[in-house]
Amino acid sequence: MVTVNGTKEEGKAGLSVADLLAQRAVAVENVVVELNGEIIHRAEFAQTQLKDNDKVELISFVGGGR
Amino acid sequence: MTELKLQGVPVNDVYTGMKERNVKDSTAKLAAAHVTIAGCGGLETNISLALTRIGVGHLTLIDFDEVELSNLNRQQFKFSQVGMPKVQAMKQNLQEVNPFVTVDAIQTEVTAENVPELFADADIICEAFDNPAAKALLLENASTEFPEKPLVMGTGMAGIHSSNEITTKHLRENLYIAGDGVSKGMEGLMAPRVMICAGHEANMITRLILGAE
Repeated sequence: MVTVNGTKEEGKAGLSVADLLAQRAVAVENVVVELNGEIIHRAEFAQTQLKDNDKVELISFVGGGR
Repeated sequence: MTELKLQGVPVNDVYTGMKERNVKDSTAKLAAAHVTIAGCGGLETNISLALTRIGVGHLTLIDFDEVELSNLNRQQFKFSQVGMPKVQAMKQNLQEVNPFVTVDAIQTEVTAENVPELFADADIICEAFDNPAAKALLLENASTEFPEKPLVMGTGMAGIHSSNEITTKHLRENLYIAGDGVSKGMEGLMAPRVMICAGHEANMITRLILGAE
């Protein structure tokens, strides 16, 4: 079980961060990923594997402001 | 010694007069603060104007762009400033409002490489971009480089949705994000709602400076 933005989800352990973003159709360039409280740099999304009991926070942004 | 005057008024009277309606015991803390704001547009110009009015002592503005006609429906520039570098135009406007504020204008694009240098001196980092990828880039890099500095961000202020959908969320230590989180710039961006989000960011920064948070 992996917790994503506070919700426990089945079947996510073993996926990479990149896989998780693709499953949720999140635009990679517009998101910041924290894994167990640590920011994962986007260059490491593909190599970073999710494990059981991991906590993932996806912080997504929308345009507008400048 | 002749008394220093601003437009005929003794400088001390100007300073104390401008602070008269500020919250009690706020002046010294505000004057000592340095806020660095990335992106100079609808958010930044309204945030920096608010912080300048209350007397935040040192502001650094960062943006690569120039003032365009399409900015004027929400950004605190003047028609006469179209074509000027945004950071220079805003520095001019802020200094007209409050001559006691130090404003640094840096005309550059924020990249992963220059984050360490651009934000090293900031007490508080404020994100005021329009591009979601730029917002994510700043969070990723500023938060890893400067985990001890509060980062105040904005996302979702477009369209004419209710004002009350805009909130400030405290996501974790040193990370605050204002906005509705969903409305996208392509809906159109107009001063009233952008100013609400800017007000959220500016008030969060003020609360951080004054120890209310």
